[in-house]
Amino acid sequence: MASFEPILTRHIHREDSHTLSGYKNVGGYKALEKMFKTMAPDEVIEEVNASNLRGRGGAGFPTGVKWGFIPKDSHKPTYLICNADESEPGTFKDRLLLNKTPHMMLEGMIISSYAIDCHLAFIYIRGEFYQEHKILEKAVEEAYATNLLGNDILGSGFDLEVVIHRGAGAYICGEEMGLIESLEGKRGWPRIKPPFPAIEGYLRCPTIVSNVETLACLPHILNRGADWFKSIGSEKGSGPKLYCISGRVNNPGVYEEPLGILLTDLIFKRGGGLIDGRELKAVFPGGSSSAILRADEIDGLRMDFDSLSAAKTMLGSAGIIVMDETVDMVSVCLNIARFYAHESCGQCTPCREGTTWLVKILNRIYQGNGSLNDIDMIFEITDNIGGLIDFSKGSFGKTICPFGEAVAWPIRSFVEKFKDEFIAYVAKGVEVS
Amino acid sequence: MAQNRTFKFTNPQRVEKILSQYPDKRSATLPLLHLAQEQEGYLTSAAIEAVAELVEIHPGEMMDTVSFYTMFYTKPMGKNHVQVCQTLSCSLNGADSLVDHISEKYKIAHGDVSQDGKISLVKVECLGSCDTAPVIRINDSNYESMTVEKFDKIVESI
Amino acid sequence: MPLIKIDDKEIEVEKGITVLQAAIDERIEIPYYCYHPALSIVGSCRMCLVEIEGMPKLQVSCNTTIGELPPERKKDGKYDMIVRTQTEIVKRERENVLEFLLLNHPLDCPVCDQAGECYLQDYSYKYGRAHSRFLEEKRVRKNEYLGSNVIINHNRCIMCTRCVRFTREISGTNELFVQARGDVSKISIFEDKSLDNMLAGNVIDICPVGALLSTDYIHKNRFWNLEAKKSICTDCSVGCNILVYSQNNRIYRLNARENHNVNGYFICDIGRYGFHRYEDAEKVTSPLIRSDGGFKPISWEGALKEIYEQFSMSMSGEKQQIVGIASPFHTNESLFMFGRLMNNIFKDKSIIGKLPFIEDYEIHFDSGFRISKDRSPNRKGLLDFCPNLEDEILQKVKAGEVRLCYALDDGVDRKLDEEWESFFKSQRFLVVQTYAMTPLAKLAHLILLGPSPMEREGTMTNDQGRIQWLNPSVSLTNKTRPDWEIIMEFMNTVGKRELKYTSVNEVNLEMGERFPDYRGRTFFKIGYQGLPKKNITTSRPSEGRQAIQ
Ligand SMILES: Cc1cc2nc3c(=O)[nH]c(=O)nc-3n(C[C@H](O)[C@H](O)[C@H](O)COP(=O)(O)O)c2cc1C
Ligand code: SF4
Ligand code: SF4
Ligand code: FES
Ligand code: FES
Repeated sequence: MASFEPILTRHIHREDSHTLSGYKNVGGYKALEKMFKTMAPDEVIEEVNASNLRGRGGAGFPTGVKWGFIPKDSHKPTYLICNADESEPGTFKDRLLLNKTPHMMLEGMIISSYAIDCHLAFIYIRGEFYQEHKILEKAVEEAYATNLLGNDILGSGFDLEVVIHRGAGAYICGEEMGLIESLEGKRGWPRIKPPFPAIEGYLRCPTIVSNVETLACLPHILNRGADWFKSIGSEKGSGPKLYCISGRVNNPGVYEEPLGILLTDLIFKRGGGLIDGRELKAVFPGGSSSAILRADEIDGLRMDFDSLSAAKTMLGSAGIIVMDETVDMVSVCLNIARFYAHESCGQCTPCREGTTWLVKILNRIYQGNGSLNDIDMIFEITDNIGGLIDFSKGSFGKTICPFGEAVAWPIRSFVEKFKDEFIAYVAKGVEVS
Repeated sequence: MAQNRTFKFTNPQRVEKILSQYPDKRSATLPLLHLAQEQEGYLTSAAIEAVAELVEIHPGEMMDTVSFYTMFYTKPMGKNHVQVCQTLSCSLNGADSLVDHISEKYKIAHGDVSQDGKISLVKVECLGSCDTAPVIRINDSNYESMTVEKFDKIVESI
Repeated sequence: MPLIKIDDKEIEVEKGITVLQAAIDERIEIPYYCYHPALSIVGSCRMCLVEIEGMPKLQVSCNTTIGELPPERKKDGKYDMIVRTQTEIVKRERENVLEFLLLNHPLDCPVCDQAGECYLQDYSYKYGRAHSRFLEEKRVRKNEYLGSNVIINHNRCIMCTRCVRFTREISGTNELFVQARGDVSKISIFEDKSLDNMLAGNVIDICPVGALLSTDYIHKNRFWNLEAKKSICTDCSVGCNILVYSQNNRIYRLNARENHNVNGYFICDIGRYGFHRYEDAEKVTSPLIRSDGGFKPISWEGALKEIYEQFSMSMSGEKQQIVGIASPFHTNESLFMFGRLMNNIFKDKSIIGKLPFIEDYEIHFDSGFRISKDRSPNRKGLLDFCPNLEDEILQKVKAGEVRLCYALDDGVDRKLDEEWESFFKSQRFLVVQTYAMTPLAKLAHLILLGPSPMEREGTMTNDQGRIQWLNPSVSLTNKTRPDWEIIMEFMNTVGKRELKYTSVNEVNLEMGERFPDYRGRTFFKIGYQGLPKKNITTSRPSEGRQAIQ
């Protein structure tokens, strides 16, 4: 592993990293000063575009390009929402940033707001993050007290209010349109697109939703320049990235590495390898919504958006969940299916009905009452909810939001890649009866 | 359990503050519901109607919102509300035996409150703390790398 | 205007409309559930998927708007969009969505009130899979009463949320909502805040399946037994367009009928359930003549003879002996005839009056739906054809004068106060044309059997001056004769005329000849959607009288 000096998490081991003074001591809010002194909003957008920063929330959409979608001639206010709803199973990187360096994200929010001419920004933090919420409240208070927020920030003439908004337990509110509805005080049913949030988002005004980690990158881009940022990682995705490793590894945790690091390095070096020296069986590379990879598929695989999508999975939230040889794939698959059935918002027919159907079938197989036909049905149902893998079978993207694909991908990959285990369950059931 | 017939926020300044933060009233829904729930332990019908009135929507629409979110309760929970993460990383690291333990010890299943009202149990989804799986949340605090023994000790101490 | 192609059909469409709207306008069938033209678009049922050239995935046609492409990017050199609704992928996708929708559906069509007009039944027949592949137990829930005569059968609900959006966007009352999430979600009401608004019944109409049922209709009949007639509601002067369902001359239910110049897609519950008021009324089944403090049947010949005897004498008598009481519940044709009788035959010996108009609250919904405060259907027509209508007839007619009175019945809810009762009682001879033993009829010396509102035919002019066709939804019973015909006989008998109209259409033509605002407003012209009067300004009394003479 080439040596890489962490950027986002470099100082988090300091006791006061979450405080304003702690952040300022290590160069915090310098980017903001620089921006106000030397950059026009357009120049900020240009710089971010040049940095090739892609969103860290899951979809990997270039942040600068998204900013560019905001209508120039709109008379409506523009809003920024920091997506701190982090609920993807296997993902806990934003939580680390919120706990340890909330000001970095806040600085990023101010930069982003300045670039898109937003004067009221929200942090949508998942309801379960209670401690993080307290820390964040403190950070925002500190920022207001030192004129980093409020009117005429640091004498720049730029005003910004930041409101922290707590979610209340719904994975789907991490999806940007679900989040916007939820912020509006409604159930988190993702609104159909188009119109896209950059045109009609919160209260039908132009809105940018950005992930915590994405925003935390911004101060560094302004500080050290787009070229520097681009030099980290590969061409396909630049910058530092937080990877979450959990499951059956010796050293679970969040690790900062460049985009494009080898998956094997993450598991075996940073993650310390598997517990009790067991064999690797499979791994989710990007949260539970990504298709799993078998141990034999990960050699030389790089953790960036494009390499993973070439491997028919995705970087997603970079939540790496490691499963060792002892893990029962049928039960894991059932666990994941159950999660999605519980979290489906329930408005789209295929997602609402399909997820529970999958749980019922998987449960049946797990109980030893399944049939080979059930295994085929799982393929069909996943295809019908959001089938993305076997294009010959039909179209893809069958639901309002990508949740449908987030169900279909992993479930299908389990059955496809560990079919023998499912068949064994069926056979066992046949024996018993 | 008999529900309170009326509801009044004990901290009207906080309510005002919340309402003042948003460009429209309805956006204050979630924070107001959180506040009401903090006050009463759960959301009584009266509280739901009161919040609905504050943000100027029909109580039915308010219930539409309330019932969507798993963190809002419309019936009382135990004094210690135990939330066990059952999602993958926690499940891989022993969450199921924690649930079994709690269920047996307090004779409660998912969604129940123990007879003495001290403990309630719900299974929840990934709490964003998978590196310290299995994770249990009791009221508003997370407890990491849980074992049955650790759990019993924590419950005793609170 | 964008040019698009849907399957093989080339269509020019308005910019900005959706593919689904374009298809509906062209009668190209794309199945859909959650879309409703009056409601916001949610795109959740996923039934309306179509293939659009150049797009990698299928698109929901309800949320795909049609724009214009620059010349160099036109498809096939000329189209702004090429849509395919019948490809294998589209068909399979529909099959899949239907399969999902039917998973938990009870498949109880044989006992379902919606059977025959259910989009689930319909589409599964056309687009579905033959066999269910769902081996699990179905979700089963009890029916619940939501309020305002509406019951929900949760097992049949497909969560299209049309009903919820209706209460938010049309009635503005917000009672219905979605409870919980995912596959346990259901349509609900909050505690005692039940469905309670004047438009509630529409949710039954817009529910694409049989999940919302009317307590008023439940299990009373099957759709295929019923005959649907297009007509208009007579419960207020808006004149909402309706479909009346009947079998064997009995009305079972009323639904809204689309008319964008009148009621949009909806009707109010007053009109929807109003027909029961006529059912409950004590019916008259034959012309009747007073006898020994009661009534006894009399033949039509007998009745006309009686009229001749009573009224022809007065032709040469003193002034203002004859009082005509017209009613805004009658058709233009009847009122036209009535006006002729009074003004052309009795001339200045007659005076035309009316009972006080029946009024109630005017109800406006933000969505634009309106219930008029004028709870009679044809006040405009009454004023047009009886322009010399005397508002204060009680004051005008001096007590003690010898008088004859010919009264057309009013709405079924008509009550008489003491003043009016004594007015009618003081008539030397009172003829009442009615179908029911109303308080007014009870005072009559002679009752002429006219049609009930459901049997009437002719035009009505709503409060916006729109002329619409009142279509009889049940046929005339035995001895009943159309109102216009009775009045014609009256004219022939008393005025020695030889009018021989054989149908309401002939009266309508004559009416158009004499009243220019109504010229050409024949049934063939106005059809089932109505047309405005020629000259919307109401004719002044003097003109009216001229026209009559
Ligand atoms: C089901 C679902 C859940 C999501 N959850 C999150 C989340 O918890 N946090 C997040 O930042 N983005 C989440 N996203 C992605 C957001 O929709 C959105 O793309 C992202 O917040 C944009 O930020 P970025 O451009 O900085 O990545 C989710 C998407 C889906 C479909
Ligand atoms: S795909 Fe699923 S989660 Fe997303 S909007 Fe549709 S039903 Fe809701
Ligand atoms: S009750 Fe009918 S209209 Fe309402 S959501 Fe269900 S299917 Fe749709
Ligand atoms: S799986 Fe339990 S905290 Fe993530
Ligand atoms: S009609 Fe288009 S998705 Fe329902």
